[in-house]
Amino acid sequence: MSENLEIPRANSIYKKSTEERKLSFLERIYLPEIFRGLWFTLKQMFQPKFTMQYPETRFDPPPIFRGRPVLVEDNGQERCVACGLCARACPPLAISMQASENSDDPKERYPTFFEINMLRCIYCGYCEEVCPEEAIVMSKDYDLVFSEREEAVYDKTKLLVRKEELKERLDYLREYKNRQFGSFWNFDEENNIHSVRNRDKRWETSLSLVEMIEQQRKEAK
Amino acid sequence: MFKEKGPDVTFSQPVEEADGLKTQEMIINMGPQHPSTHGVLRVELTLDGEIVTRAVPHIGYLHRCFEKHCEAMNEYPKVIPYVDRMDYVAAMNNEHGFAIAMEQLMEIELNDRVEHIRVIMAELQRIASHLLAVGTFGLDIGAFTPFLYCFSEREKILDIFEKASGARLLYNYIWIGGLMNDVPDDFKTDVSSFVKTFRPKIKELNDLLSNNKIFLVRTANVGVLPEKVAINYGISGPSLRGSGVKWDLRRDDPYSIYDRFEFDVVVGKGEVGTLGDCWDRYIVRVREMEESLKIIEQALESMPDEGDVHESIPKKIRPPAGEIYSRTETPRGELGYYVISDKSTSPYRVKARAPSFVNLSVLPAISVGAMIADMVAIIGSIDIVLGEVDR
Ligand code: SF4
Ligand code: SF4
Repeated sequence: MSENLEIPRANSIYKKSTEERKLSFLERIYLPEIFRGLWFTLKQMFQPKFTMQYPETRFDPPPIFRGRPVLVEDNGQERCVACGLCARACPPLAISMQASENSDDPKERYPTFFEINMLRCIYCGYCEEVCPEEAIVMSKDYDLVFSEREEAVYDKTKLLVRKEELKERLDYLREYKNRQFGSFWNFDEENNIHSVRNRDKRWETSLSLVEMIEQQRKEAK
Repeated sequence: MFKEKGPDVTFSQPVEEADGLKTQEMIINMGPQHPSTHGVLRVELTLDGEIVTRAVPHIGYLHRCFEKHCEAMNEYPKVIPYVDRMDYVAAMNNEHGFAIAMEQLMEIELNDRVEHIRVIMAELQRIASHLLAVGTFGLDIGAFTPFLYCFSEREKILDIFEKASGARLLYNYIWIGGLMNDVPDDFKTDVSSFVKTFRPKIKELNDLLSNNKIFLVRTANVGVLPEKVAINYGISGPSLRGSGVKWDLRRDDPYSIYDRFEFDVVVGKGEVGTLGDCWDRYIVRVREMEESLKIIEQALESMPDEGDVHESIPKKIRPPAGEIYSRTETPRGELGYYVISDKSTSPYRVKARAPSFVNLSVLPAISVGAMIADMVAIIGSIDIVLGEVDR
């Protein structure tokens, strides 16, 4: 072995020819080796096809698959209450949103805009994990193509997907994740309607915080 | 240690005159857009005819500020998707290493089911990564067929991962204190059927590639890395074991539950040439796959059916102030994470000791004197992933 640690030369090149192994007769005529290789390939021809003709046949992912994140549209409306948790949990800061309030709406808070920059998204699934409303879920879309950078910023028109189309994933979350997290974590329909209006009712007036403020404003006028 | 001549050497002067012919050393760049550098690596080669007299790797094309990124995250779990992206062909092992470091820092005890699933995942990932390494190594040298078979086997492992985690390459599956979610119900049958079908494939691979005459000529006696040089440079993983050093963290410094399993540490023996040549490094990977299969089989047998994988995930990850260095054995070698916590929810400092980075440092030493065509074999045999070299 080379003891020269300064430059451990690849000693090989010049010595290689002398160290080479002698070939046996069968190896020297090469034919058996060639047929062995061909036999292997021939066997593979009768195996089931492993590949997929992609654009024609498409891969249908199982419900656990984490494709692009989408917003759930429930009765023509997003479920999202613009709490901002997903934006906070997103490691590459792909999500941006602006919350607004609407007192006619049973859930009041909604995002005026909600954008996910698909060039930044790393499909980690944290947004879905933290969402208290089951409003953002990972879909099955996996081939996203853009021709411009602006196109890659998905807004609400592109993000909203009807609940029925996401049924598989929602069912999966219900079945699988909830079973693991325990029964306290269930996404009931009513759970998705959050109103500060009905929250924190005072026992003596049976008015909620919001209603009290409204009353005070009225009186001030 | 190997001394570089430094960039000030002028090669413009004719070096030698033989038979009236002026010969001159020449510098060429291998990469960064070279299919055999496994990513974006540029190797500056100084050639004397066809013999390499100097090789200087230039790195940094894929630098993504991993360490700084971790500090910028406001929660520890957010580091895990980035850890995946260091060594992107062995993401599970990276996650495992980081999770172990954090668990040691926070003193979290895991239940047996989590540990078993983690070990199975890590070993499957090791097989997948070695398959890729072996396949592309063959591809570099000109053997196209084994590459395809390696990939089709790897695909089966990715299918298992996909069923469990929902992603095929960057899983975000092993979390600090547990797992993202429990494995599907048919996990055990999937893995054991894979193990069963994969055993004969290793033999097939040996027939097809390992003992192929052309392959032997291209790899035996090429890029010899002597034992002492390997240790001097701090090489780890299959590249170190290829030089005949019996060092495997799974056996020598057991983490997780590796001390419960029986397996051999494979070392190169110099069967077809000098000890520590490209073929030795290659064959260590092939044989390690068999050892991984052994571990998986044992783990499947002892894996408990009961156990909550979320049991010990902390509600808020806020480790006590302190620091930790923990090391694990990834397919490429010793991966160490050094984490300093200042009692907040994000790390104060994360340092990753990436095995590929250290392994690449030996390239100048072992490629001097090699033919230019052998450079491809040498780079392929140390199996670097540039995502991890540059981080
Ligand atoms: S999947 Fe991850 S990166 Fe993508 S938007 Fe959700 S949290 Fe952000
Ligand atoms: S976490 Fe859910 S409810 Fe909150 S802003 Fe994000 S999508 Fe909307």
